[in-house]
Amino acid sequence: MTGLFDTLSVVVQIAFRNLFANRWKTLIVGGIIGFGAFLVVMGASLLDSVDHSMSRSIIGSVAGNIQVYSSESKDDLDVMGGFSFDANSIEPLTDFDRVRRVVMSVPNVAQVVPMGINGSLTLSGNTVDQALAKLRQSVTQREQGGTDPALTQAYDDQKDHVRQIISVLQGDTENAKKLHDAQALASDDLGSVTKAASTEFWSSFDRDPLDHLEFLENRIAPLATDADMLFLRYVGTDPKVFSRSFDRMTIVEGQAIPEGQRGFLFSKYVYEEQVKLKTARNLDKIHEARTNRGVTIAKDDELKRLVREASTQVKELLLELDAPKTRLFLSKLQSELHSTEGDVGKLLSQFLNTTDDNFDERYAFFYRELAPSLELYRVRIGDTLTIKAFTRSGYVQSANLKVYGTFAFKGLEKSPQAGTMNMMDLVSFRELYGFMTDDRAKEIAAMRATSGAKEVTRENAENELFGNAAAGVALPSGASPSEDLNTELSDLAGTHKRDETAAYDPGQLEQGVILNAAVLLKDDTQLDQTITAIEAAGKKDGLPLKAISWQKAAGLIGQFTTLMRVVLYTAVLIIFVVALVIINNALVMATLERVREIGTLRAVGAQRRFILAMLVLESVAVGLVFGAAGTVIGAALVAVLGHVGIAAGNDVLMFFFSGPRLYPALASHNLVAALVIVLLVSVISSVYPAWIAMRISPREAMQSEE
Amino acid sequence: MTAIVSIQNATKDYRLGKVVVPALRGVSLEVMQGEFLSIAGPSGSGKTTLLNLIGCVDTATTGSVEVAGRNTAQLSERELTRLRLNTIGFIFQSFNLVGVLDVYRNVELPLLLQHTLSAADRRKRVLALLERVGLSDHSRHRPNELSGGQRQRVAIARALVTRPVLVLADEPTANLDSVTGQNILDLMKELNRTEKTTFIFSTHDARVMAHASSLVRLADGKLAETGSVGPSIHEAAESGAGAAP
Repeated sequence: MTGLFDTLSVVVQIAFRNLFANRWKTLIVGGIIGFGAFLVVMGASLLDSVDHSMSRSIIGSVAGNIQVYSSESKDDLDVMGGFSFDANSIEPLTDFDRVRRVVMSVPNVAQVVPMGINGSLTLSGNTVDQALAKLRQSVTQREQGGTDPALTQAYDDQKDHVRQIISVLQGDTENAKKLHDAQALASDDLGSVTKAASTEFWSSFDRDPLDHLEFLENRIAPLATDADMLFLRYVGTDPKVFSRSFDRMTIVEGQAIPEGQRGFLFSKYVYEEQVKLKTARNLDKIHEARTNRGVTIAKDDELKRLVREASTQVKELLLELDAPKTRLFLSKLQSELHSTEGDVGKLLSQFLNTTDDNFDERYAFFYRELAPSLELYRVRIGDTLTIKAFTRSGYVQSANLKVYGTFAFKGLEKSPQAGTMNMMDLVSFRELYGFMTDDRAKEIAAMRATSGAKEVTRENAENELFGNAAAGVALPSGASPSEDLNTELSDLAGTHKRDETAAYDPGQLEQGVILNAAVLLKDDTQLDQTITAIEAAGKKDGLPLKAISWQKAAGLIGQFTTLMRVVLYTAVLIIFVVALVIINNALVMATLERVREIGTLRAVGAQRRFILAMLVLESVAVGLVFGAAGTVIGAALVAVLGHVGIAAGNDVLMFFFSGPRLYPALASHNLVAALVIVLLVSVISSVYPAWIAMRISPREAMQSEE
Repeated sequence: MTAIVSIQNATKDYRLGKVVVPALRGVSLEVMQGEFLSIAGPSGSGKTTLLNLIGCVDTATTGSVEVAGRNTAQLSERELTRLRLNTIGFIFQSFNLVGVLDVYRNVELPLLLQHTLSAADRRKRVLALLERVGLSDHSRHRPNELSGGQRQRVAIARALVTRPVLVLADEPTANLDSVTGQNILDLMKELNRTEKTTFIFSTHDARVMAHASSLVRLADGKLAETGSVGPSIHEAAESGAGAAP
């Protein structure tokens, strides 16, 4: 045995001395191998970390570990929703109570959260509408005899605001007239604006305010195009169970939807991106880019565009300014800009045309001096939002929901993909989706009842008309017939117009229709087994349950790391194939240079396997030494990065990193993988040269040197 | 005396593309133990081919070659290798030392391939041989630090380290100047005498042939003459060397 060991030692000696003798070749080959190993460790560790943080974000926000939905659905469930607003064709599960019972029967299940995901296009109120609505309120109060000086003051201010808006609109229409052929503009639109801007119109306003208001509402409001469509995706759920189950959810502003209350929570991302005043949003974006990313307006095209947009689109601001605010802005902007310009629009435009030198000052000025007088958000927290959605059968259903606040998922705050999910209570969701809820059922029953009563009332009314004597018998004494009819009608109106802000029975959340449910596990390593167990439990109960992992449920986003992995492994594969070819070539050349040496070894009695061992050892040694070096460098870099973190430069990375920085962690299986791959490549690349070497005849030793 | 090599009517053909080149055209030869045999002949006469057959690095196309009592035609590649390792020592024209190993390791190499001796025994034997060839002081040198003669002496030590019954030397002095060549031949002859090792060496140098105890002359792949060294051979060698270009 010592003999064998000594043979091995001579093999090792020859192999290593050869490597050393050809150190440049060794270095180049080793460098490639080392780089490959580095890439495997580094890339796989980064991907693992991204995978890990993304999975935490996705699992901890909406998806849960597992999603269950009806196996009869035509489409696959996609909780992150891709980017389309088509509701997936997900078949509803009619009885959540049963679903939960079945799913909870699987031991590893910790929690089941009922859900439904849908989207709607909702018109956010435009400034004109809002101004007119306020004015109408004051008019109504005055009609009802309100004489409060505060009311009068408000009424006058509101009138001024509407006039201001109309003058902005008039300016717009005249600009449009210059740009287009005058014919192209509907002439009656132009006429309407001219009429509404006229002094006569406003001097006659007080005489018949309701008539004038109607004209403004019907003819002027549609011309103001600042109303924006809000694309809202929302999840309907049990808010209490949801926030308890998803640790990543945090309330940013306002409060959670109280238990048993209908309500709506904006995602902070949507609230900022879509609901906030555009000028303010643009300023925020510039501010954020300058402070967080260190870019400058002068150098960054995107920021230049934002500045241009802010300074040219001041209309949105102007529409909000009534007369007192206009005066206020004028004086503030004049002193800030040291200008004598009298047009507040031009001042605003000048103010918003920021540069790197004055941005910070103006940003602060905007929020300190101007913002308090502006409605920064088109929907305020506490407002009621009317959401119109298409039900499954295609008719439009609407719900008025109180906006309780905004929320975000930690780590996904900046994610356009996941941050667009808003939230409402499940009961309102069911109604918007066209399902029967207890409230709806009651409402319909009530409508039947009242319509039945109505018929009777009519008969009574007819009796009233045609037989006073009978009426006197039919009606309760002391009640005037007309009063009774009024009461009846208002009751009827009251029933039809459901009060969505009203409470509902929380028990409704426990039962009834859902589209899907998130399942949270006690032990998340048992994912696949639990999926199988849930589906089996469904089958046993006769419930058409389909269970999918969070990765599948998150659709494209869930597949992202898989995709990146494919890209990484393809890159690694290419590198190693190249390495293989290069190493193979180098070894073949080295072998051919060593024909005499190998021939001599064979002649003096070395068996073929000795030659094989020698060559394989050479490339494995290179592979191991440089592969280990690459692995160590990769591991060291990962360790350093794990300490300092990698900054997410943009919003997309923020999502993948699940936060502003990624702290990659080293996984031992990546180190092992790198070494195994390196070893494999070394061995494979030495197969062909070794084959050549083994075929070298000992006769080669006898050839005289040419 | 026993025949260490016994060749019966051996032929060897080489293929060069489609052309068959006969290198040996039927050679019969017996080499006795303890001989100091020179195979002479001009280049291309088949000297190296004959040595290849004797050295078991090649097998005959027809005829039989027996080395140390074994018919090489019937041996597998592995058995031939083992036969070379255990019974034959090689000395090459270009020394053929392993450049990355030092002198000591080069000499030790065949013992390591045999792996039958312990490290201590190997050491004893290698050092004794290095002493014998006069390179005790150079055991840690690399071959490229040695002169041609020194290198060939390392090669001789390597050839003898396994105590083979037969040492083959292919033009051992061709790459050396005449004085060094002479020294090498003296060394070989001395080892032949003291160790009773059979030496077979090829040469086309008449002065080298003169040292041989017996001589075979090859021409065009056939034996031209065999016999013991005598004055006639000396003359023949002289004239042969003169005739060779």
